[in-house]
Amino acid sequence: MSTKVTLSLGYGKQLSKQKIEVPDGEPKPWDATVKTKVVGRAVPRIDGPLKVSGEARYTHDVRVEGMLHGAILRSPHPCAVIQSIDLSGAEKAPGVRAVHAMAKAGDRMIFAGQDIAAVAAERPEQARAALEAIAVEYELQPFVASTRGAMRDGAPVVHAAAVEEKRTGADEPGAEKAAGRLQGNIRPGRSQKRGDAKRALRAAKASFEATYETQCHTHSALETHGLMIRWEAKDAVTVWASTQAIFGVRDEVAAVFGLEPAKVRVITEFLGGGFGAKFGANAPGSAIAKAAGELARTAKAPVKIMLDRQEEHLCTGNRPDSIQTVRLGANPKTGAITAIHVTAHGSAGIGTGAGVGRNASAIYTKVPDVLVESADVFTHAGPAVAFRAPGHPQGAFAMESAIDELARQLGRDPIDVRLAHDTHPVRRWQLELGRERFAWNERRREAADLRSRNTRIRRGVGCAVSIWGDFGGPDARVTVSVARDGKVAVKCGVQDIGGGIGTVMAQVAAEVLQRPLADVRVDIGDSAFGPGVGSGGSKTTSSIAPAVRNAAEAAKAELAMIASRALEGASVKRLKWTEKGVGVGRQTLSWAELCKAIEGEAVVATASRPRTYGAFPKSFPGYPTPQIAGAQFAAVEVDTWTGVVRCSEILALHDCGRVMNEMTLRSQINGGIILGVGYALMEQRVLDPGLGVVLNANLEGYKACGIKDCPDISIVLTEVASGNNSTGSYGIGEPATIPTAAAIANAVGDALGAHVRSLPITPGKVLETLEAAANSSSNSEASK
Amino acid sequence: MVDSKRMGRRERGGSPSEGEGAGEGLTRRGLFRRLGVAGTAAALVNSSCKVQDGELEAPAVDLGPDTSGAFGLDAAPLNFTLDGKAVDTKAEARTTLLELLRLDLDATGTKVVCDRGACGACMVLVDGVARNSCMLLAHDVAGAEVTTVAGLGASGELSALQQAFVDHDALQCGFCTSGMLISASALLRKGGGPGKAAGMTAAQVEDGLAGNLCRCGTYPHVVAAVLSVAKGERVDRVPTERIALGEDGSKPARAQKGGAA
Repeated sequence: MSTKVTLSLGYGKQLSKQKIEVPDGEPKPWDATVKTKVVGRAVPRIDGPLKVSGEARYTHDVRVEGMLHGAILRSPHPCAVIQSIDLSGAEKAPGVRAVHAMAKAGDRMIFAGQDIAAVAAERPEQARAALEAIAVEYELQPFVASTRGAMRDGAPVVHAAAVEEKRTGADEPGAEKAAGRLQGNIRPGRSQKRGDAKRALRAAKASFEATYETQCHTHSALETHGLMIRWEAKDAVTVWASTQAIFGVRDEVAAVFGLEPAKVRVITEFLGGGFGAKFGANAPGSAIAKAAGELARTAKAPVKIMLDRQEEHLCTGNRPDSIQTVRLGANPKTGAITAIHVTAHGSAGIGTGAGVGRNASAIYTKVPDVLVESADVFTHAGPAVAFRAPGHPQGAFAMESAIDELARQLGRDPIDVRLAHDTHPVRRWQLELGRERFAWNERRREAADLRSRNTRIRRGVGCAVSIWGDFGGPDARVTVSVARDGKVAVKCGVQDIGGGIGTVMAQVAAEVLQRPLADVRVDIGDSAFGPGVGSGGSKTTSSIAPAVRNAAEAAKAELAMIASRALEGASVKRLKWTEKGVGVGRQTLSWAELCKAIEGEAVVATASRPRTYGAFPKSFPGYPTPQIAGAQFAAVEVDTWTGVVRCSEILALHDCGRVMNEMTLRSQINGGIILGVGYALMEQRVLDPGLGVVLNANLEGYKACGIKDCPDISIVLTEVASGNNSTGSYGIGEPATIPTAAAIANAVGDALGAHVRSLPITPGKVLETLEAAANSSSNSEASK
Repeated sequence: MVDSKRMGRRERGGSPSEGEGAGEGLTRRGLFRRLGVAGTAAALVNSSCKVQDGELEAPAVDLGPDTSGAFGLDAAPLNFTLDGKAVDTKAEARTTLLELLRLDLDATGTKVVCDRGACGACMVLVDGVARNSCMLLAHDVAGAEVTTVAGLGASGELSALQQAFVDHDALQCGFCTSGMLISASALLRKGGGPGKAAGMTAAQVEDGLAGNLCRCGTYPHVVAAVLSVAKGERVDRVPTERIALGEDGSKPARAQKGGAA
């Protein structure tokens, strides 16, 4: 049921003929020999005019007849047992139409921000006011808010019983499930192993050990979590949701209310960001769908719950923090790394999933002995959830920092150390390209000169690399129709998280059917348009684009039969397709004439895409799909008097298979980098260890990058033909943010000659690092 | 101070329209609201004196505070111009301009993100000045001309700036876009208008948009879009080199686009 097809695959000039087993019925994949005309171009997104005119209606903006506004009362305490709840005040409050208890007397609340009760009222301010009329008595319990504190013997225990790991479609596919037994607040989880790292470390002639820490990072999508539920019948609902997984919401709403999934319609016409946190119907730490549905049922009216900015920081997910000890063994003569051992702890609050990605385990494959162990540490804080490349930026920061520190210790160039241990040909090429494009050697010399002169302002450069996989799959069904008036329509119930998938869909259909882009209509954002795919794992484009191509090819095949009849039985194979229409010999049929010959309203074809069938030149570990390579270079300026770091430049070299749209692709890369800059230098959720509450649950105390914090960005796209699917596309959203913070940390290390081992790299930490370095060098002077 | 318990009953039925000296009762909450309105202090002294004088016939039974009729709880008339059209509406004193726009006037192009002046997503032009609508009360714009993102273009057309945002992909999820456009429009107007601010620098654009937060990272494309409109010619800000299949990148495969201005 499959055929071996010879394709031209590879990257740059390294192209070769490869035999790929392609399922029957699959069009011949676009390989290196295929030049596309519309696909790959820098085309502005097709819904841009709606977004710049304010016409686009996001979930937050949707209004329906009789709509009520919901609000949720949250526990103010990090740990407390509810003694009593009195909802009667809320029931009597002005404008209130329904009240729903989300906790009961005796329940133990385990983070500040947990659901207590919900109300629905005619206006949002009435709903909020009614919450104040709810009387709750709590018995306060001991709590632990810091990760290190939770690891100590005798710390208050967050979960008394075993904890089932909760995973969403945004978690990295193929990542090991945590399986260890809970000990106190520590639950040993994922581990990745090759050889015997502990023995190799004991045998190593040189070694390096350091502990790196990263902070808790909130998604802070600008549109908060929220949804509206309207009961259409006893067993049917319509849901407007701010989600990055329409079908995930459908299934969860169906499960929560015991409905058939087919009776749940979910609409997300426009989405104000998600970054991994908007996968379910309920928010990660708040049962908003359950509340909205129950309130709507009681009030017999649609209920919308949109969380506010504070709630968004407390109960809708975050990137877990981490404490990672990295041990490297090396041969000082050759510079070869002989062992890597990473021990990582991180807190996903009351949730699970603190991981460290795969920089340590899967990039430096020439290192024979590797062990990466990670554990969840439970704290009394809102649960974490997948966040743009879950685990990877944390792990990249620690591992890439350790590589640089080892290189400094051994007196070697950090790029050379990476090249000596990484076998991915594209990443190696990116490092070489970056070295040249970024004027690496000259800038390193300049940094060394400034250090030796002990200048106030230092400059430095650093690089770091990323690994990701193509996780596109066969979930989606795309419908392409060609109507008698010649118009093309493409439909799929996928949502646009901001990457611009609708535009890519239009491009692919326009390419296959050779129609002007403006003649292609795209309908997305509604489960009624057929199965889509969740936007997690950077798999939207590679799940949807090939399905569009396959559906468009199927529609074209049906049009070919019509053409063949109209052209006096010409064989389908002899037809020549052009932008004007179709022909054989001197006979031609314009597109309009061809479409008029359609019997009925339209030719309609629905198609999926098969599982990924090619992974050239290198696969993702344990997964038969391409491994996506990336490298970023950072330049920083550090004021050694104030400790302020400014990231002035980033060069990003990324592989994204065949580029579908250069413009939206560039936007995604910019976004990944800018998120990474904030992670490196500014962002940190501050949880008061003494109070157990978040101190900066807002956007003035939680510092995301503003426009003046952005470095100058330049991008090198190294296209790869991997033979993975019919379009050759794969994702970029997550790869683009993985190496940024690590590259900046390494640049700071280059500038200072000493490494800041904790994110964010704040002025205080820079000054402490400088002071520690000065003390240790004066001590070593003294001991000489 | 006023004993609201004793005065609770007497207050029923009182309303500002009955006049300040008419002996209407006061609750403590109503008192503060009135003080906020100004000009009522004399009446207060007056009515509290009456209490002390024992003019009330019987001790009042506590029916809880009644705030009906207190100024600010009921909507008061408000007129302003929204996107070129006259608005004749009512708003409570506590209602922010953002709430009025989104909830009452269904002008949802203006977004709510932080609701406390930290992100710029709710920006509108008030008499040509970019303001956070969450930090203004609805009554602050009485008589003013308010322009939201929907009013930037002339009669259904996109403005040059809006078109430049589309052309440069200066948006991703689009939730910050309205506010960005408002700030940038104000900046361009100050700089002389589209095509007339050739000397505008990237740093000036960054200053002008420093109050607008974006989480998708559209900033570089936003700067390019604004500069393009200011200068009247396309400016690109993120040099991108695409090494296509069959090329080796030994020399830049094609001319780098733009370059940091």
